Amino acid sequence: MIYGKWYAKGSSAQSDAELQITGDSFVLKVKDGVSYRALLCTLDVGSRLGNVARKITLEDGSVFATQDNNAIDLAFKKQLRGKGFIHSLESRMHWVIVAFALTIISTIGFFKWGVPWASEKIAQALPHETNQLIASNTLEFLDKYIFKASELSEKQRQDIRLHFKSTVVPLGSTNDEIRYKLHFRLWDNGDLSIPNAFALPSGDIIVTDKFVQLCENQQEMDAVLLHEMGHIEYRHTLKTIIESTFVTVAVMMMVGDSNGVADMGVGLGSLLVSSNYSRGHESEADQFAFKHMLLAKLDPVAFSNIMNRMTDYMQTPADSTIKHKDNETGAEVLDYLSSHPSTKQRVEIARQYSECFRKGLTVCDITESKESAPSLK
Amino acid sequence: MKALSFDGSGMEYFKIWIVNVLLTIITLGLYHPWAKVRNNRYFYANSTLDGRNFEYHATGKQLFVGYLIAMTLFISYVIINQISPIGSLILVAVLFLAIPWLILKSMIFNMRMTSFSNVHFDFSGKLGRAYLNFFAYPITLYIGLVLITIAMTMSISVGGGLAVLLGLTFALGMIAFLVFSLAFIKKKNTEYFMDHSQYGQGEFKTDVSIKQFMMISLKTTGVAILVMLITGIIVSAGFSAMVGVDSLGAFGGANQNPELITERMMLLMPVLPIFYLCVIIASIFVIAYSITLNRNYVYANTKLDEDVTFSSTLKVLPLAWVLITNFLAVIVTLGLAFPWAKVRAARIMLENTQVNAEKGFDDYLMQKQSQTSSLGEQIGDAFDVDVGIGF
Repeated sequence: MIYGKWYAKGSSAQSDAELQITGDSFVLKVKDGVSYRALLCTLDVGSRLGNVARKITLEDGSVFATQDNNAIDLAFKKQLRGKGFIHSLESRMHWVIVAFALTIISTIGFFKWGVPWASEKIAQALPHETNQLIASNTLEFLDKYIFKASELSEKQRQDIRLHFKSTVVPLGSTNDEIRYKLHFRLWDNGDLSIPNAFALPSGDIIVTDKFVQLCENQQEMDAVLLHEMGHIEYRHTLKTIIESTFVTVAVMMMVGDSNGVADMGVGLGSLLVSSNYSRGHESEADQFAFKHMLLAKLDPVAFSNIMNRMTDYMQTPADSTIKHKDNETGAEVLDYLSSHPSTKQRVEIARQYSECFRKGLTVCDITESKESAPSLK
Repeated sequence: MKALSFDGSGMEYFKIWIVNVLLTIITLGLYHPWAKVRNNRYFYANSTLDGRNFEYHATGKQLFVGYLIAMTLFISYVIINQISPIGSLILVAVLFLAIPWLILKSMIFNMRMTSFSNVHFDFSGKLGRAYLNFFAYPITLYIGLVLITIAMTMSISVGGGLAVLLGLTFALGMIAFLVFSLAFIKKKNTEYFMDHSQYGQGEFKTDVSIKQFMMISLKTTGVAILVMLITGIIVSAGFSAMVGVDSLGAFGGANQNPELITERMMLLMPVLPIFYLCVIIASIFVIAYSITLNRNYVYANTKLDEDVTFSSTLKVLPLAWVLITNFLAVIVTLGLAFPWAKVRAARIMLENTQVNAEKGFDDYLMQKQSQTSSLGEQIGDAFDVDVGIGF
C-alpha cells in the first residue's frame, strides 16, 4: 500500500489517498471520495529526483503525489525503464565519486589543453582576412590616443626598414599572405619615453623611438622583430580572442545560475587562466625568435641583452645606480597574474639557446619547462 | 501564520549538482537546460508550506531552443566585444531595447511553469508597462543626472562665492533627485511584478510607498558608509602594523627612496588579498542589510486577494552570517561547497517567509493557460538580467 495525497485536476485541495497495485492494474482510493480502478499503463509517472514528492498523473488529469519513492520505483519498474538513468547516477555514492573525479579532471584538462588546442585549430583554419579585419583601425586608434609621430631621422628609419625587408622578413616569414610593414612611433608617458614593440595580426609591426635608441646593435633589434613576427606567424591575437571566448562562455555555463557574490571569485579565476595563455604565447614567440636566430647564425643572447636593458630602463627611471633587489615572494605572486613570463625566465631560455649557438648548432633542443628552467644546464 | 520550510539537504543536492556539472561538461554545454530543470525541480519541490510543495514544470526540451539562441547571441557578443568595441556597443544598445520584452517573457514563462499545491502561477503584465518601467524611467533618471551635472559644472565655472553656493545647491539637488527617482523606480517595479502575478484565480496586490523606499535607501547608505569606514580603519590598522607607520608617509613622500617603496609594496603583496577579502565581506554585509529591509517591507505589504497575507521575518545579522560564510566556504573549497551554500541560502530565505491564509488554498482553481516560449527567460539568463524577485 502506497499512501499519498490526491488533487482533482486544477485544484489545490488535497485529500488523503492510498494506491494499491496488483499485477499490472491498480486501485486508487480517495478518502471520502472517488475510487479509480484501471491498468498501470494509463498512469504517467514522473522521473525521480532525490527524495522530493513523486507525482503520478491519472488519465483524467488528477494527480496522486507521494513521498514513498522507493515503492513507486519498485511498482513501476517496467514503465520507468530508461527514465531513471540520471537518478541512478545521483543515488549511488561510487558514481558520485566517479563523477566528481571526472569533473575535476575534465575541468583542468579543458582549460589546460582543450582550450589552447581548439583555439589553435580554429585560428589556423580561419582565412588571413580575419587577421586584417581584427587589426583594421587599431593603428589609427593608437595614433589618436597613445602615440606621437616618430622623431627619428628619415634616414635611420629608411635603413631599419630596408634591413627588415631584406633580411628579417625572409628569415621568419612562412606565409606569403602576410605583408609585413614596419612603423615608427614615439610613445611618451609623462616625461618618460617608453621602449616597446608591438605586432598587429595584419603584419604591421610598431617600434617606439626609445626602443630603437636602446638597441646597441643590429642583432638586438632583429631579435625583437623576430619575436613580434612570431606573434604574427602563430596568429596569437586571433588565438587570444578565441581562447577568451571559450573561457568566458565556459565560466558562464558553470556558474550561470549562481548569485553575484560568486562572480568575484570567478573573475579572478578567469584572469589567472587567460594570463596563463598569454604567457604561453610570449614564450612561443620567444622560441620562434631564438630558432630563427640560430638558423641565421645570430647569437640569441642579443635578445636577453635588449630585454634586460629595457627592464632596467623602465625600473629605475630616476636613479639608475640603484640596483633592484630580488623580491622573491612578491614577484612570484605577481608572476601568476602577469601577461608576460618574468624577464628572468626569458633571459634564462635565451642563455640556453645562446649556448647551442656557441657550439655551432642550428637546432637547439630545449626541454620546455618554464618552472625548472633555471636549474637546466 | 505559518512559515515555509526547505526539506532538501546539502549532501543530496551535491549529488544532483555534481552529476549536472559532469554531464554539462561532457556534452560541451548542451545538457545545460536539462541540468537547470533538475536543479529548479529540486529547489521548488523541497520548498514546502504545511505539507504542500512548489513544483517546477518546464522541461529541458522547452528550454533548449531558447538556450541555443541565447548562447549564439552570447558567443557573438563575446567575440564582437574583442574585435570591435563599437560593434559591441551597438549590440548592447539593441539588447537594452529588448530587455523589457525579455523580462516580461521570462516572468510569464517562469510563473506559468511554477505551481504550488497543484495550482499554477501566472503573470499578466503588459508590454507597454514593461517599457515604461524598465526603459523609460531608467533613461529619464540618466538624462536627469546628466542635466544636473552639466548645470553644476557650468555654475562652478561662474566663479566666486556664488559658484560655491550654486554648486552646493546642485549637488544637494542631485542627491535628492537620485534618492527620489530610485525609490520611485523601485516602487513601480515592485508593483509591476506583484500586481500582475496570479496564483490560480487569486491576484497578488501590493501597497508600497515611495517614502518608505526612500527611507530604506537612506538607511542602507548610512550603514554602507559606516561599515566601509570601520573596514577602512581595520585595513589601515593592519596596513601600518605590517609596514610600520613611517613608511606610510614614504608612500606619500613620492620618490625620495624608490627602493624602499618597492620593498614595502612587495612585503604587502601576500596580504593584499586579505584586505581585498575584508572589503568583499563588508559589501556582503551591506547587501544583506539591503535585502532584509526591502524584503521585509514588500512582503508585509503584499496580499493575495483579501484572504492571504505575507510577512518576512529575515534579520540582518543571521542573513549576513549565512552569506559571508557561504562566500568563504565556496572560495576555500574552490567551488565545491557551492551546493551546501545554495541550500543554506534557500533555507534561511524560506524559513523567514510566513504565510497567513485564513480560508486555506482550497478555493483556488487553476486558470486555463496557453504555453509560451521560453526564449525570453533563456536570453535573460545568459545576459544576467536581474529580475529581482523570488520566494
